[in-house]
Amino acid sequence: MGERADVWQGTLALMVLKTLETMGPQHGYGLARRIEQISGDKLQLNYGTLYPALLKLEQEGTIRSRWGVSENNRRAKFYELTRAGQRQVRKAAAEWQQTTEILARFLGAAGEA
Amino acid sequence: MQKLRALWMRLCGLLLHPRGHQDDFEAELESHLAMHTEDGIRAGLSAQEARQQALIKLGGVEQTRQAYRERATMPWLENLVRDVRYAPRTLVRQRAVSAVAVISIGLGIGANATIFSMVSRFVLRPAPVGDPSTLLSLQIIADRESCCNNFSWPLYQDLREDARSFANVAAYYDLVPASIGGYGEPERVWGQATTNNFFDTLELPMVLGRGFSSNDELQPVIVLGQNLWKRRFNGDSAIVGKTILLSGRSFTVVGIAPAAFHSVDQILHTEFWVPLGIAAQLVPNLPSKAPRDYHWLDVVARMRPGVTRLQVQAEMDTLAARFAQSFPATDKGERFAMEQAGALPMRDRSSVLIFLGALLLVALLLLAIAAANVANLLFAQAASRQRDMAVRLALGATRGRLRRQMLIESTLMAICGGIMGVLLSLGSTRGLSALRLPAPVPLDLHVGLDWRVLLFCFLLSVLSGVLLGIGPAWAAARPLVPNALKGEEALARPGRKLSLRNLLMVAQTAMSVVLLSATVLFLRSLQEAAGINIGFNPRGMLIFSVDPRVHGYTATKTVAFLDQLRERLRALPGVAAAVCTDVAPLSGGNRSDGFSAADQSGKQLPSAELYMVTPGYFEALGIRRLAGRDFGSETAGGPKIAVVNEAFAERLFGETDAVGRHINGPTGNYEIVGVVGNMKSRTLGEQTRPILYRSLAQSVEGDPSLMGYTLIMKTAGDPAALSETVRRQVYALDPAMAIYNEETMEEHVRTAYVLPNLAATLFGIFGGMGVILAATGLYGVVSYSVSRRTREIGIRIALGARPGTVEGLFVRQGIALTLIALALGWPAAWMLTKIAASLLYGVQPHDAVTFLCVPLFLVAIALVACWIPARRAALVDPMRALRTE
Repeated sequence: MGERADVWQGTLALMVLKTLETMGPQHGYGLARRIEQISGDKLQLNYGTLYPALLKLEQEGTIRSRWGVSENNRRAKFYELTRAGQRQVRKAAAEWQQTTEILARFLGAAGEA
Repeated sequence: MQKLRALWMRLCGLLLHPRGHQDDFEAELESHLAMHTEDGIRAGLSAQEARQQALIKLGGVEQTRQAYRERATMPWLENLVRDVRYAPRTLVRQRAVSAVAVISIGLGIGANATIFSMVSRFVLRPAPVGDPSTLLSLQIIADRESCCNNFSWPLYQDLREDARSFANVAAYYDLVPASIGGYGEPERVWGQATTNNFFDTLELPMVLGRGFSSNDELQPVIVLGQNLWKRRFNGDSAIVGKTILLSGRSFTVVGIAPAAFHSVDQILHTEFWVPLGIAAQLVPNLPSKAPRDYHWLDVVARMRPGVTRLQVQAEMDTLAARFAQSFPATDKGERFAMEQAGALPMRDRSSVLIFLGALLLVALLLLAIAAANVANLLFAQAASRQRDMAVRLALGATRGRLRRQMLIESTLMAICGGIMGVLLSLGSTRGLSALRLPAPVPLDLHVGLDWRVLLFCFLLSVLSGVLLGIGPAWAAARPLVPNALKGEEALARPGRKLSLRNLLMVAQTAMSVVLLSATVLFLRSLQEAAGINIGFNPRGMLIFSVDPRVHGYTATKTVAFLDQLRERLRALPGVAAAVCTDVAPLSGGNRSDGFSAADQSGKQLPSAELYMVTPGYFEALGIRRLAGRDFGSETAGGPKIAVVNEAFAERLFGETDAVGRHINGPTGNYEIVGVVGNMKSRTLGEQTRPILYRSLAQSVEGDPSLMGYTLIMKTAGDPAALSETVRRQVYALDPAMAIYNEETMEEHVRTAYVLPNLAATLFGIFGGMGVILAATGLYGVVSYSVSRRTREIGIRIALGARPGTVEGLFVRQGIALTLIALALGWPAAWMLTKIAASLLYGVQPHDAVTFLCVPLFLVAIALVACWIPARRAALVDPMRALRTE
């Protein structure tokens, strides 16, 4: 369990948005599985925490939801990006990229010294 | 933006579909678990294991639900909303208590709203001009004087040229009477004469047209007030550029001023404005522009942007010093004073502020009494709810939550009271606005509710709701839970003698002692005022005024017109006498001059009232003649004669018989031909003033009255019935003559009683309410204590106590509280009623009757209020009392 990281505040939203961008409309359970998969099972994710996060994104207008039918013919609520959401993903991803690059440089520099 | 949107969505979630969200989420959660379980089964787990796994991975259904709910809405707000929704239900359940509370607070807030609407109108409201904060009214304060004077023309000119702090300085002459043309019966209106930069200085947003321009100085142009324009010209939108008739002369309308603007000072009610340069056409005795020591102009100045009041004052001081050096004869020792334009006139400010302050204090006192009363009611209520509270506490509610809920209830109650108060004050301010002050000039004293009043009421309601609720809420939220659940008294702490309820009750009674003292004082003052000898008999008289001068009459023609009119009126059936004067007595203000004896003594009389009268005036008004004769058939050019009143003769000659003496005054030398009894000249409350009556025929030429001339008809029948015939007689002589101030003399005198009446009415209402509230408060305290001690009473009676003893027990308790309250309230009343001294007629503020009667009366009321519940205690059936619960 030690190697599995908790989800940091704020990063979950970006993961959700990015996942929706690549996969298209998806239900909550699918999103949760997908996020875990992509992280290579390195993330410790309580599926329950995903729903308030989704609600928050919906309230902020970056995603919207509607009821649909899953691949296994089950009624499920599907989430998809709105136009504002698409913009948000690009922006947030770029910002995140920059932050990690800078941080990586710092850590790298500290290592060389 | 996103945050805002989210907040909005959460609010909607809270208010619009509190349940919908939750159901939707339940379904989503269910589908999530189902999918997860399916996957588990596919991976080879048993159905039960798979479900178990899914639940663990989810992190708990209840936790998820909770987290989702908190995100969907705003939990603290949700709780608040729930409490607010719950509060009306509680209030409705305790209907009687709520009704009493709302009515009490409503009366208190209503009183405050009424008084504060006067404060708002006269103290807080800025003038309706462009940027009122940079417009100043200027005044001169002469050497060693406390208050102020107007400007002379030369001084205004110097100031306008020299002062650098001002962008513009304008002057105006504040009252110009005129008759105006247009539709309807002829009408006399008041206006002002202004310098041509007046409207530019005020930056008044005109309704139509423009103000005066720099080359209007000597042009016959006029700006009309919006109301006058609507009333006389049907709001003709093409009026700008047209010519109208003002006192028989043609004026070209250049603009319409907004209805809200009546005059810079917000008190005078003027309706037209003409350039100062041509005002002499309307006001024949307009002061001359030349003398530097004749102070007749009001001055307003617009500060330059960026200049502060301090800088202005500094420059004004420098200028005053320079003027004093250049013109030592007239300007020595003078300073300039200034204030924001539209503020209360400096001269009257302190007395108005004291009056309003005293009234506001009284209204707040009343509200405090009402709030104390309601707080006591809530204490009793809390006692009956202790079980409910204890159950909730036992079930895990926090005390904070209970307190908050009770505070919300009391605040809601107070806000309902506030709404009721505002509604009440709608009526009372209308009544106040309908009052007419005795004054010879047109005043705008309209009072209404504005946003300041509404804000004040709202804040006051919330504040009183919280204050009155805080004690009961505190007490109610900490019952001794075990006691309460057993149905026993749970609010009283062991070993506590001094309860908050008793303290409130004492405070409330003490306050009502103060109120009641004021009430009795003002009632006594009204009684005294009714007994004031005004010196004449107002019965059976109709009065009305005309001002022939503003219709272009010369002095000779004016006198002839008045003579003809009197003759026609005298000839009417039922008219016993028709006389004429310039201003009817008790009109609130009058002219006065200084006089000196024209003999060796040269004794001075600094100020005597001046009246013009026609022969028969004294007889018609029932003023006693003490010596000499009445006026006769003097001619305008003949030697001037006068009749004086007793006070005049005594002050100047030391004796009543002054007939044959000569006196000097600013209007010439007079021979005294008669002496008459004293009468009240300006107001009811005045000390007897010396009066000099001149012959109307001899005075119109040299010293015409700006107020016009008042005709007085004496009749044996109903004077009001004469109105129509009288008007016909006037129009028969001149169909264009405006008639104004028509009323019976009794109506006229009644307006002189407006102040003692108003004070007595207001204080009568306030004091009466205070006493009733105090009495119900006392009743409440005693009956609460009776109900709490029912079991004890039962035991006492069972052990042989007589009903009288039991009664005495409770009456003693109530009376003790009342006596403590009296000991506190009486000295406070003694100190506070001093403020009212200037408003009283013929009664000392420390009136013995008042200060003896009030305590006795209160004790009597207290006895009754205590006796009723005490009697109930004495009738307690011991068997039932001991079996309670």
